[in-house]
Amino acid sequence: MSDYAIVAEDLTYCYGDLVAVDHINFKVARGEILGFLGPNGAGKTTTINILTGQMKPKSGRAILLGMDVAENVKKVKVDIGVCFETTNLYEQMTAIENLNLFARLFGIKSFDANVLLNRVGLEGRGKDRVETYSKGMKQRLMVARSIVNQPQILFLDEPTAGLDPTSSKAIHNIIIQERERGATVFLTTHDMMEADKLSDRVSFMNQGRIVALDTPLNLKQQYGKRALKAKVITPGGKLEDREIALDTAETPGSVKELFSQENVVTIHSKEATLEDIFIKITGRGLVE
Amino acid sequence: MNIHIISILVSKDLSLFFRKRAIIILTFVGLIFYLVIYFVMPSSVDENLKIGLYSPVSLPVFTQIDEEGLEISPVESEEMLKEAVLDGSYVVGISIPVDVAEKLSSNQKPRVNLYFTPDAPQEIKDAMEVVVRELAYMQTGQPLAFDVSEEILGQDMTGTLIPPRDRLRPLLAIFIIMMEILGLSNLISEEIERRTAQALLVTPTTVTDIFIAKSISGIGLAFVQAVLIMAIIGGMNRQPLIILVSLLLGAALATGVSFLISARARDFMSVLAWSFPILIILIIPSFTVMFPGAITGWVKIIPSYYLVDTVHRAANFGSGWGDVWVNLLILFGFTAAIFWAGIYILRRKFQ
Repeated sequence: MSDYAIVAEDLTYCYGDLVAVDHINFKVARGEILGFLGPNGAGKTTTINILTGQMKPKSGRAILLGMDVAENVKKVKVDIGVCFETTNLYEQMTAIENLNLFARLFGIKSFDANVLLNRVGLEGRGKDRVETYSKGMKQRLMVARSIVNQPQILFLDEPTAGLDPTSSKAIHNIIIQERERGATVFLTTHDMMEADKLSDRVSFMNQGRIVALDTPLNLKQQYGKRALKAKVITPGGKLEDREIALDTAETPGSVKELFSQENVVTIHSKEATLEDIFIKITGRGLVE
Repeated sequence: MNIHIISILVSKDLSLFFRKRAIIILTFVGLIFYLVIYFVMPSSVDENLKIGLYSPVSLPVFTQIDEEGLEISPVESEEMLKEAVLDGSYVVGISIPVDVAEKLSSNQKPRVNLYFTPDAPQEIKDAMEVVVRELAYMQTGQPLAFDVSEEILGQDMTGTLIPPRDRLRPLLAIFIIMMEILGLSNLISEEIERRTAQALLVTPTTVTDIFIAKSISGIGLAFVQAVLIMAIIGGMNRQPLIILVSLLLGAALATGVSFLISARARDFMSVLAWSFPILIILIIPSFTVMFPGAITGWVKIIPSYYLVDTVHRAANFGSGWGDVWVNLLILFGFTAAIFWAGIYILRRKFQ
């Protein structure tokens, strides 16, 4: 059995002349959460579509659970769950009917939709038609649907985009629970806070290429700049910001000077965010 | 292909179909409307025999005849007579030749042409020759030697006169079948536009499973409704097997058309916009039955003509396999071609 749940070998995909995924290589260990970050059009969704067998790569191989996806697409689909970026539920069916339908398609005989609905915070709404749900409720149902078959690999494409904090938190909890169950999670997101909080490793994708792949901590150490950020009141009574870079030879002297010569109101440490690092690496933001 | 998955998808499609209020209302109102029209149509035929007469020479007894059941009207030319017979104004047209007097006086047999509507019964055709000779006898006081030639204008449908409501049967069958185009096209286009098909395709479901399920749902819905309505209006009393086969092919044709429409349509309004022109075209052939002669041969390029004609012949004239096999073969050909084209185009959208 392969140690890796997902292996991408030189994956490439083109839409006409546009190279959407450009010879990407990465591996995701079993039970790992990989945050797949990148701006719109970076190639994240295309990558998911190739990995889940919805698209065939122009070149390269996608290997899931030791199986080449192109050659074993039916076998692979049994062990994966996919939550799409856009809502694609049967809106004229109830939540229970939606979940039961997919459970039957996976051949699951003993399935209780209410258990899943409780997990995503939709208890008591199972018999309502999905068309009556809010966006957050629909998204939670989408996540519930993606884990109907208790997948070994869970693909989540922007699962919390545009959601309120309550819905986002419910989905974060599900992701953590799934990892605890042993599932591998492939999470694409714009939200660097979400990626930072949930991911074991993050991958930055830009213009079809993976430009960085490591743990959030390592990326911050490699590319980030730690600093102390203070607010001081000047002799003239104005509030001003002061920033002292950490990890330099001058840091102790600068800190001492700040407290001895300035009227410090607040002080806190400042760490680089994944967004800062992405901008540093690619020269562009995650949200454009 | 996975039978278990296909059965789940069919059950899902049927469940969704019956939850679409607009489609259900259209179907239900349509069914009631068709049945009401059928039952308010006269159930018996007008027994007066309307005869058109073109006679370049004066034959007063022909026009002044007061025989019960015969209505003879003069027509100005032979062409006008043919047109009047074709458009159903007369069951039969009698054309007396210009040289009738000269030929009779020189002991030659003049040729009297009789023109019949396509569905004039054989008894009337036989009787008309006798009538012509009888009228000639009344005119001249002696039996006259005539050559009488019969010509069927349009398609020959020898049999009994058909009550108007029975002429409606093929129209009803095709209406019911073609109305399903709306429902099925909407179901498929929603599956694509709302990307629910994409959700299905990351389960063990394949595109083939989806197509087979859609075909079963579409053909099943159209076929069952058409069979039910045909049974209610007595359309299955004669040649039920031929009717069933024709309706099944018709349902498959409608499903193929639905595949084509859903490959283009994006929502219910665009389904309507695409469906109605196509529905109108497909329904045109049924008017050849309602109004014989009103539409000429070009109607045969419309695939549904072969469904309408087969149902009409089998249900109203009791035509057997020997009479309709060519129709069924052509209908099968059209259906297979449209079905294949629909799957080919739609499959690209699914992928």
